[in-house]
Amino acid sequence: MMRVLAIALVAALVLVGASLDTSAQSDAPPIKIGYAISRTGPFAPGAQATQEPSYILWAEQVNAAGGLNVKGQKRKIELVSYDDRSEVETIVRTFEKLMVTDKVDLILPPWGSTANFAVAPLADKHGYPVLAPTALSMKLVDMKLPNFFSMLPQPYVLMAAAADMLAANGVKTVAVIYMDDVFGLENIAAFEPAVKAKGIEIVDKKSYPLGIKDLSPVLRAIKDKNPDAFVGLTYPPDTILASKQSKEIGFNPKVFFTAVGTAFPLYKQVMGADSDGVSGIGSWSVKTSPAAKAYFDAHVKRFQKEPDRWASAHCWAGLQILQAAIEKVGMDRKAIREYIASNEHATIIGPVRFKGSEIQFPGTVGQWVGGDFEVVWPANRATAKLVVPKPAWK
Amino acid sequence: MRLWIELVVSGLITGGIYALVAMGLNLQYGLMRILNVSHGEFLMLGAYLTYWAYLVMHLSPFVFLPPLLVGLFVVGLVVHRLCFRRLAETTPEVEAFEARSLLVGFGLMFVVQNVALLVWGADLRGYQYLAGTVSIAGVGFTANRLVAFAAALVLGLGLIAVLRATLLGRAVRAMMQSPTGALLVGIDVRRLHPAVFGVGLALAGAAGALLSMVFEISPSMGEPYTVTALIVIALGGFGSVTGSLLGGLLLGVVEAIGMHLTSPSLKMVLSYGVFMLVLITRPNGLFVR
Amino acid sequence: MARRGLAAVAGGAAVAAALPWLLDDFLVSLALSCLMYVALATSWAMFSGATRYVSLGTSAFFGLGAYVSAWTVAAAPWPVVIAGGALIAAAFAGLAGLAILHLRGTYFAVLTFGMSELTRHAVTYGEKQYAGTVGRVLTVAPSSRTVYLTVLAIAVAAVGVAVVVRGSRFGLALIGIGADEQRAQTLGVPTRRVKVAGFALSAAFAGAAGAAMAVRWTYIDPTAVFNPFIGLQTVLIAIVGGPLSLTGPLLAALVFSLLAEFLRLQFPYAYLIALGILLIVAVLYLPQGLAGLWQTRARAERPTAAR
Repeated sequence: MMRVLAIALVAALVLVGASLDTSAQSDAPPIKIGYAISRTGPFAPGAQATQEPSYILWAEQVNAAGGLNVKGQKRKIELVSYDDRSEVETIVRTFEKLMVTDKVDLILPPWGSTANFAVAPLADKHGYPVLAPTALSMKLVDMKLPNFFSMLPQPYVLMAAAADMLAANGVKTVAVIYMDDVFGLENIAAFEPAVKAKGIEIVDKKSYPLGIKDLSPVLRAIKDKNPDAFVGLTYPPDTILASKQSKEIGFNPKVFFTAVGTAFPLYKQVMGADSDGVSGIGSWSVKTSPAAKAYFDAHVKRFQKEPDRWASAHCWAGLQILQAAIEKVGMDRKAIREYIASNEHATIIGPVRFKGSEIQFPGTVGQWVGGDFEVVWPANRATAKLVVPKPAWK
Repeated sequence: MRLWIELVVSGLITGGIYALVAMGLNLQYGLMRILNVSHGEFLMLGAYLTYWAYLVMHLSPFVFLPPLLVGLFVVGLVVHRLCFRRLAETTPEVEAFEARSLLVGFGLMFVVQNVALLVWGADLRGYQYLAGTVSIAGVGFTANRLVAFAAALVLGLGLIAVLRATLLGRAVRAMMQSPTGALLVGIDVRRLHPAVFGVGLALAGAAGALLSMVFEISPSMGEPYTVTALIVIALGGFGSVTGSLLGGLLLGVVEAIGMHLTSPSLKMVLSYGVFMLVLITRPNGLFVR
Repeated sequence: MARRGLAAVAGGAAVAAALPWLLDDFLVSLALSCLMYVALATSWAMFSGATRYVSLGTSAFFGLGAYVSAWTVAAAPWPVVIAGGALIAAAFAGLAGLAILHLRGTYFAVLTFGMSELTRHAVTYGEKQYAGTVGRVLTVAPSSRTVYLTVLAIAVAAVGVAVVVRGSRFGLALIGIGADEQRAQTLGVPTRRVKVAGFALSAAFAGAAGAAMAVRWTYIDPTAVFNPFIGLQTVLIAIVGGPLSLTGPLLAALVFSLLAEFLRLQFPYAYLIALGILLIVAVLYLPQGLAGLWQTRARAERPTAAR
């Protein structure tokens, strides 16, 4: 038994040795930025669609320009990245390694609410600021961690915008389905009071579990109630499933709204012309700003795939804020945190600032219009005109 | 009444695919006692190859199906040769063999899934094929779902016919009923086992090809289907291929109706509850007298 | 044998207990992960290795323990939380065992898998209906050192109990059931009671481990804590180690956790492929598990020593 433990100890020490392997030191040492993200496991599709490509693209762009300007010195970025296997324990352990063993200069957040719940307190404890582009939960915001910043507007903001849009277009009745997890439950909890305040009646409300393969029985029941609008607080596979099966049964309400994944390029690939007029959560398009267009083009060029029209740009905006902070105040993490918390930042999604952990950014609604995903609500953010009623499925 | 017809047909369509996934796995288990938990990974492989053929070579999934079946059959021969032949030779005792082949299955799962990740990336993918709606007696169905169901049924019934009517099929059935007896009457196990393992993988690949027309695909898509296959096998009886066909169809219908009567959230609790109840009270499957 | 074993456990535990003061957070986390799998694999082998009832239900017990922790950690003292996790998991395993322990082999394996999925969905549904949420935020948590020492204690307890059980009548009964259940029954072993008790006992450790680990994650939901992978990995480790031996699963837990982590950090894209191939090779060429390596040697040496 003792021998076993001795072996374990030696193996562990070898690991430390391997990880402490220092690369050649130049006069301007690179800025080490570490992260763990899902390359395998159930979180991987989301993480690879909206988050990690932006990290890589950002580092490459900065380095191509000679590096970041830190107190008059050009320093390149060195990304230290690991797979987190979509497992919370692995996520926690890897971020401990990054912050404590590797002593990276800064960290970038993992993908998804669950992972950020685990990392946010840990990063806060070690004094690393985090700008999370894919954490959507008021519970996380309510923990009031000084080093945690959410790049996405929270459910009550998103759902209020959706309710405004429905009411402004004469919707009187709505049917809603939502997923049995923190995303679905927090959004439905925000959605119900928001539509009630606008005098809209919820005629059907059904929840469903992760990994559902057939929604047609639910959709057929909803179709019989003939609501003006359908709202799905869904994830990418279910977003597409609900769309395909609504078409299958000929359910075509005035407004058809689905949540995550509607803004993915995948949606158009699999729905084709049927995507036209489908609304969903989305906050930007190439028409939002020239910078947004540049980001879009660079992303397509580097990865041969489009970024999604929601969180991808929020992720990029977070990186822009981090970059501005470093170039302004240097590598001191406390100063970076202060800078992020107390300034207004120019980003590709427009000017943003933070109140506590919350980003000050309006709720938006997007829609597939003429073959592209555009922002259609509120009017001052719109890049295209909202189409209501939704055209028939092809 | 119309609603009920819709529910039943919709359930049968889902169930047909369940059945096809389960039949290949059950064939392997029934004959060789290999509970291949990487079954879903080969399904995923079939789905990706079909997607890739459609996108790059513009081949219809149905044109691609025959080469896919042959390809996965060959993969099955190779996997059997590399992994299970030695295992069967060194582990004569059935229970130990089952446990260890389970582990080999996990190993295969890691390998296949992550090779797919390296090659295709983690993103969800999909394509449009036969996405139009067909109306049957006033009820609309997406064409690809109907076609997938028909293909699953043809393959499933075809397999059963082969098992019943041909000499080879009878040999397989004899082996499933009495391995020693079959040996005594001169059935060549060394050829039969790899072949049947290959057929199992080919069926998984076919199921993947059909599913890729209907659902989005990702490297981790396989696991849930392995689980569904296990449930179907338990319902229909371990080692009974016909039972799997009936069990798959039944599960599809029960799920659709259950979801309508309760809620989708409760559906999973009910499915697993029914599954456990059947296994506890009727371990040989629902259809055994 | 038992006394030497217990002494070794005590020595190993003393070394492990000093680690938080010697190593940095990451290495302690890594050690924690090893210890968790030591506890899970050893307790699994205690029942499933001996009786050959291969259980895939470890994740159900682990998840239940985690939820007990989430429900009570803010209100109850830490030891009570851990004991609660262990008790609830054991009680659940006892009840489930009464219903399913008459089926052997693949049936039992599939049933326990179904049981853990059923538990996951039932907890999801129950939480949603009665608490209006599925995930739980754990803002009150003991220090990471406390968690480490707790998991160490659970692992030591699992190993210690396994050592004691092996030498007891109860342990012999379990092995008797594994060798030939009908004969054991004929010889007067109350097989049903022994099986249910063994199943519950092994579940208690998984429940305790779940209760201790949950507080590290700040937020738990059913998908994370009932992750079937936890159960599969446990079985994998125990069988690779050699399910009938005591040191086998223990050693395999260490080797597997360290190797998996090393490969993950060094080869971020291909490590799971390597792990899969290693697993297959290990199963094919180490029929008795890792334990076979030194057991064969011991057997080979013994005749010489006797002479």
